Amino acid sequence: MKAYIVQRSLLSLLTIFAVATILFILFRLLPGDPTAQVISPALDEVAQARLKEAYGLDQPMIVQYVLYLKNLVTLEWGRSFTTSEPVFDVLAYRFWNTLLLMGIGLSFSLVLGVFLGMIMAWWRNGPLDIGATIAAMVSQSAPPFITGLLLLIVLSYRLGMFPTGGMMPPGTNISGVWDVVTSAQFYHHLVLPTITVAAYYLATPMLVMRDSMLEVLGSDYIEFAQAKGLPPHKVMIRHAARNALMAVVTVSSLLLGFAIGGQVVVETVFSWPGMGLLMVEAAARHDYPVAQATFLALAVLIILLNWAADISYGWLDPRIKVGGGSHG
Amino acid sequence: MRAIRGVLKALGRGLLDQLRIIGASPLGTVGALIVLMFALVAIFAPVIAPHDPWDMLRGADGRIAMNRPPSDEFLLGTTKMARDVFSQLVWATQTTMIIGLVSGAISILIGANIGLIAGYYGGRIDEILMRFTDIVYGMPFLPFIIVLIALFGRSFWFVILAIVLIIWRSSARVIRAQTLALRHRQFVLAAKARGCSDLRIIYRHIMPNIMPLLLLYTAFNIAWSVIAEAGASFLGFGDPNALTWGGMLYDLWISGRLRTAWWWFAPPAICIVLLVCALVFVSRAYEEVANPRLRQR
Repeated sequence: MKAYIVQRSLLSLLTIFAVATILFILFRLLPGDPTAQVISPALDEVAQARLKEAYGLDQPMIVQYVLYLKNLVTLEWGRSFTTSEPVFDVLAYRFWNTLLLMGIGLSFSLVLGVFLGMIMAWWRNGPLDIGATIAAMVSQSAPPFITGLLLLIVLSYRLGMFPTGGMMPPGTNISGVWDVVTSAQFYHHLVLPTITVAAYYLATPMLVMRDSMLEVLGSDYIEFAQAKGLPPHKVMIRHAARNALMAVVTVSSLLLGFAIGGQVVVETVFSWPGMGLLMVEAAARHDYPVAQATFLALAVLIILLNWAADISYGWLDPRIKVGGGSHG
Repeated sequence: MRAIRGVLKALGRGLLDQLRIIGASPLGTVGALIVLMFALVAIFAPVIAPHDPWDMLRGADGRIAMNRPPSDEFLLGTTKMARDVFSQLVWATQTTMIIGLVSGAISILIGANIGLIAGYYGGRIDEILMRFTDIVYGMPFLPFIIVLIALFGRSFWFVILAIVLIIWRSSARVIRAQTLALRHRQFVLAAKARGCSDLRIIYRHIMPNIMPLLLLYTAFNIAWSVIAEAGASFLGFGDPNALTWGGMLYDLWISGRLRTAWWWFAPPAICIVLLVCALVFVSRAYEEVANPRLRQR
């Protein structure tokens, strides 16, 4: 297990490194003056020349690359073209906002999805099973921005039940994450974005849990547990669900890949001040240092979550040892 | 030449089988019919659309027809720029279908080949290809499209390129796993013993056996491409000269008319959901074949 964790961690680090390298190449492939992606074209020539030297942009590519990696690790991510703030400071604030929304949305849909999937399988072909399967297929087919816009139109614009966007009422003074999560206003603003992301995420864990529960329920040890005379709910939860859960963990990495994309559009629709919205704004304004750093931060987030999924898979399935570990 | 003809023949035979698979599932049939309907609209867009989708139109009263709700004159109303929503919708169907089909086809081609080669050869080749796939899994999908478009410009082809570069990853993983399972089967060993080349074994012996899975992922990839394109366009990173459903919603979003113009919101939104839904239905039909355990329900 220890070796498995080490192996997975190394692979994750390698992936982060590779993504950073791809980003470096992409940003230097650009037509025109490559320095335009690092130094704001709005600055005067003297300042541009000074920055050029500071970032090593007059050096050969390989030196630039080493410097780029060094700057990444030491959190020297440059300054925003539009606000001149250090990119790291901008991101640090946005990071928590994204994590809050995503964490709450993901845990909500995972818990609810697993629970519903379990019940659907237990009473298979019942009204709940059939209804939820169709609802899941439809909600999975609706890109989150459509669900979000629909909720916005109906619940905010028409019925006025929820705010139309933002994380706090405009003008609120926020002095930290703690202030945010203890404010009732925050939860009021959180409802619509959470429903939106949950509607999108929920289907996958639910359907996978259902299918894998059905598979598990057909196996011998369930029959044995029933034959022992265990009460049905014990069989369902302790024997069947625990083993069926493995399949959910396996697909969760697939889910996470899409979660970030969903996050970006949901944050845009609800003006949620997270990294997704920042990325869209920065890219639209050609604020390259911010766009680049945000992309990398989102990538690292995905890779870390994938890593967590891998580790919990290893924890749930004791058969996994290094070497025999699944590459799938 | 003979090899190519053989592959084509196998593909043709395979396709017929696939139609039978879809037809066997009621949900799959409904899905296929919806996709067919959209395809027909896409092909006959010039005939169906009553107006030029970019034209600023005037109503019968001679005034510029801005923000008009649906009426006999304008079937689905007009936009803030006095453009006909219905005509925009029809033309957008064409563009969206092209983007979906092209990216779906190219990505399955890449994904299937990487999966087949990694699974068949195993060992070092497998290791390299799968680590590469892992790296692509580390790329956030929509942000990647956004960065690529922001760097290289808002063009139709960059949207497709960005989608293709990411989306092949899941098909590669799944097809590799399936190939791995087939690699040591009798029929593969027999073909090897007969002295068949690796290429022939991969494409003539293994590929036909993973056909349901391949088509399942083709349907998935098209669906994902449609969702991705819609998302990118909605965020303002689509081709400004190409009309797509996502682009229509972007126009609505920045026009600030979302509050009132439901007739502008509903048609593209319903089309996106309907097309993706139809593709999911079709893929569900394949899933029952690719994973026979599901059928015993």
